[in-house]
Amino acid sequence: MSIGNGEFTSLIGPSGCGKSTIIDVISGLRPPSEGSVLIDGGRVKGPGTDRGTVFQDYSLFPWMTTFENICFAIEHTKNAGERKEIEKTAQKFLELVGLGKFKNAYPNTLSGGMRQRASIARMFSMDPKVFLMDEPFGALDSLNRIYMQDLLLHLWSEGEQRKTVLFVTHDIDEALLLSDRVAIMTPSPGRIKEIIKVPFPRPRLRKDLSIDPNYLTLKSHLLSVLYGEAVEEAKKQEDELKRVV
Amino acid sequence: MSENSFSLGTIIGRSNIVSNNVLRSLTVFIILFATIIMTVGFPDSPQQAVSDNRAFVVFLLLITVIYGAKLYFNYEKIVSTTDIFLIISLGLFLWELLLGKLALLDSFIFPGPAKVFIVFQTDTQRMTEGVVNSLSILFSGYFLALALAIPIGLYAGWKKRLFDVVYPISKTVSPIPATVYLPYSIVLLPTFRASSIFLIFIGAFWPILVGSINGVFSIDPRLINSARSLDLSDYQMIRKILLPAALPSIFSGAMIGLILSFITLTVAEMIAATSGLGWYIEYYHQFANYDKVIAGMILMIAVVIVIMNIFDRIQKHFLRWHPAYGEGENSAS
Repeated sequence: MSIGNGEFTSLIGPSGCGKSTIIDVISGLRPPSEGSVLIDGGRVKGPGTDRGTVFQDYSLFPWMTTFENICFAIEHTKNAGERKEIEKTAQKFLELVGLGKFKNAYPNTLSGGMRQRASIARMFSMDPKVFLMDEPFGALDSLNRIYMQDLLLHLWSEGEQRKTVLFVTHDIDEALLLSDRVAIMTPSPGRIKEIIKVPFPRPRLRKDLSIDPNYLTLKSHLLSVLYGEAVEEAKKQEDELKRVV
Repeated sequence: MSENSFSLGTIIGRSNIVSNNVLRSLTVFIILFATIIMTVGFPDSPQQAVSDNRAFVVFLLLITVIYGAKLYFNYEKIVSTTDIFLIISLGLFLWELLLGKLALLDSFIFPGPAKVFIVFQTDTQRMTEGVVNSLSILFSGYFLALALAIPIGLYAGWKKRLFDVVYPISKTVSPIPATVYLPYSIVLLPTFRASSIFLIFIGAFWPILVGSINGVFSIDPRLINSARSLDLSDYQMIRKILLPAALPSIFSGAMIGLILSFITLTVAEMIAATSGLGWYIEYYHQFANYDKVIAGMILMIAVVIVIMNIFDRIQKHFLRWHPAYGEGENSAS
């Protein structure tokens, strides 16, 4: 599978199918068991700041304030400038996600939604080639989730050059709203079963999508693929059980 | 109507709580003042009498001022503060009444407060010297232990191979009391000072080391992953990630280390010193001068309280980000 420059791709699948493992491999946290990851033709050998990662709820270091967290991340990118410049960038992105007032707050004193906003500000401020997002909104309530999806889309499409994004989720609506393509994974062994293009023009509006008949067909197709997988999997396990008993 | 009576009820309830607190803290003040009046206004029993009991009065006034200041600056903790000071003031009251005035027990072994506190007045120089000597030895050994145990512990927690060697060793060696090494350290090191510093270093080193290793070991691996994705150098990883993340555990190790250093120092001084807090008590014990023994004990308690307070403040400052130590949401913004 290859992801084009500036493309937003979602990875969707039931839990335990290895979505997070793929993120780990691409970010360089663990080596691939076979094959390789190439970014702009260069092989990924380990972690690096050309890829920015947002995890579910632990991207920020609790002993640094949000501002320090972002500055710390920028400092470790390859083209980090002077201290003043770093602080300016950090401030800018904090304000972009609406956390200007909370720059000196420690993550533990913020709500889950605010923490994720800070994580996203951190990722954007690092200005990496590739965004890797591992169920970034999985721990948020539905209202916060809607807000964060809009914020992400807004920031992503605002930039002068769109970033390449790999977005892991188990939420079909989220995948369809955000991505250009959706890759469906199957469990054990984790493989990509199907890649679907999402044809809707941008900017997409949640309201319009939900009544678009194409959207509904696409959604039910995704559902049936995922659900079919789940049913098959359950059957397999049942057979296995019968054989053992 | 019912709403009115309800709000009336809460107001009465609140004023009850307030007046309860006021009443309780008033009791503390009354006991303290009663003790002062008793000390000044009534003669000590002949066996307990000393030329001058102003030192005890000054001490009582000091306790009163400390209590007042605690109420003023830390009103939220009024209940626990009052409880503690109720015990202290009642103890002082009974001491003065039963031993100082009535001399119910043998006045030689159980001196009254006037007899004990006058020691602070007559023996000030020797006591100050003792505190200075003890603390300089204590902190030399303790800071040496901190400076070595924390980096080693962090590095050992981070590198699997080092961990496999260091952790079992430190777990085995740490329960051995440092005073075991006393005979050799006295023979091998030139002065008592050097050998005490060495003993305190050994005593504090192991708990701090175990605390640091455990601290690194219990860091959430997902946080480590988040840090690794920033491609940090080993030094950056240890200094900026492992050290702060392990800090809560390091602090609990450091606390145990501090307590052990104090015990080690006191024991070492009692055995082999010529100055210091432990020596002071042991020395006058040999002369059966129980006034000074008790004065030395009170001095030691005061020193411990001050040191522990400072330790708590430092810990609170460094762990202000931590939910268990932070001051809540308001301090953030």
